[in-house]
Amino acid sequence: MMPIDLKDLQNRIAALVGTRLEEGQSIGEDLVIEIPAGYLAAVTETLVDDFDCSHLSAITAQQWADQPDWIDVLYHFWHGRGFSLRMRLPACAPEVPSICEVLPGADFYEREAAEMFGICFTGRHQTPPLLLPDDWAEGPPFIRKDVQHG
Amino acid sequence: MAKISIPIGPQHPLLKEPLSMMVDISGEQVLGASLRLGYVHRGIERLAQTRTYVQNVHLIERICGICSHVHTTTFCYGVEALLGIVVPPRAQYIRALMCELERVHSHLLWLGVLAKHIGLETIFMHTWHDRELVLDIMEELSGGRVSHAANQIGGVRFDLDENHTAMIRATLEKLHGQVEGLLDVIENEPALQARTQGVAPITEDLIRKYCVVGPIARASGVDVDMRRDAPLPPYDQLDFPVITHPDGDAWARTVVRAEETRVSLSLCERLVRELPEGPVSVHAPRRVPEGEVILRSEAPRGEVFYYLRSDGSDQPARIKIRTPTLAALSLLPVQMSAIQVADIPVVLAGVDLCIACADR
Repeated sequence: MMPIDLKDLQNRIAALVGTRLEEGQSIGEDLVIEIPAGYLAAVTETLVDDFDCSHLSAITAQQWADQPDWIDVLYHFWHGRGFSLRMRLPACAPEVPSICEVLPGADFYEREAAEMFGICFTGRHQTPPLLLPDDWAEGPPFIRKDVQHG
Repeated sequence: MAKISIPIGPQHPLLKEPLSMMVDISGEQVLGASLRLGYVHRGIERLAQTRTYVQNVHLIERICGICSHVHTTTFCYGVEALLGIVVPPRAQYIRALMCELERVHSHLLWLGVLAKHIGLETIFMHTWHDRELVLDIMEELSGGRVSHAANQIGGVRFDLDENHTAMIRATLEKLHGQVEGLLDVIENEPALQARTQGVAPITEDLIRKYCVVGPIARASGVDVDMRRDAPLPPYDQLDFPVITHPDGDAWARTVVRAEETRVSLSLCERLVRELPEGPVSVHAPRRVPEGEVILRSEAPRGEVFYYLRSDGSDQPARIKIRTPTLAALSLLPVQMSAIQVADIPVVLAGVDLCIACADR
């Protein structure tokens, strides 16, 4: 597998998003590209169609203790080398487009992030809980830091 | 013929761990299936945020009862990267040795499960007998057959002396001979071929769309192995073949795992032969500097993904773990369409399910 050309990828995403991307972000050797959440589906389509990159390793959602009003979401891809798409969502109404249409393998990852962090993935079918009990809907999202857990 | 929905699990003789499937059938034809996980969800990612890094080594070891060591290895390398420390080469080799032993016993266990599911009791008895030899080595080294507590942040908790290496060499030699014979039988057994060839084929395109990893991906021709592609030490110094197969069916998945068992045994022999001298651990501070790290490693079932974030304290701010079975399970409903009812056990066995891993 030829490793993905990250410079080319950054340029394509910048053209798609229409803004200059913040440079130099990385987690270890994984490049991090910060994008507005609304562009996620379009960026994923570009990845799959133009870069033949379809391996999504995981979706990480998290809250930073000093910024509880935001949820940070990372989509970790791999194509010969790793890179991540980073989005910041408001904790009061976290919403991001689903990419299951383009990448069906994202299904379980999205459902897990929805159950653990209360993130709404728009444009996908309603599904029953994947990991949590059926009656958990009455409880707060499992890993959120801005809500009290019993 | 009318469609009938049959629940399988969460408790079912076919399953070794709890998983709930609703399988739609029409006569003998399976039309599709849906899955429900979570019956062994222990909330490990959340628990990890309330424990120190040292405590988390032991918590993370309990994600899986088969590949416990690769989880702690990946976690420890992640914490060590944040700390900026490099573990001694001898510790790296011992970590890799345990990883490869784990792969051998996982693959042998899997071959036994597959054989049992399709009625080949003799192969089941032999594979599980041979697997005991691997567990004997692991018990001799660490004191534990499945939870080894081998890793600590900064290295490993035990060293190998001459008696250990002699015992490992002798056992590996015996195992190599037995496994060669066993794998010859598997590869030439007409009943096994009849029950697996052409069953539930997965195309390379489906593997990519569903982000499936490990032996299942390699059995569909996807040439990927994190030991080679994103190597943690000492895999960056080791040459080994990555086994692939073009067919994508249950037979291909059997052949790939069988060949990988051979490769891992050879790697074990080499790791013991070339074991460097020196210490097996270095001091690691309890507080970890602020930062993030991503690690990928190759568990017996494929790519394990870890994301760690430290806020500068002695407890992680976030740990994200994606296990290979979770990726494989997303494809299972697709595999469960357009097969015969009698093939359900073969398809399930082919996935090499580890529900505890997937649930965490």
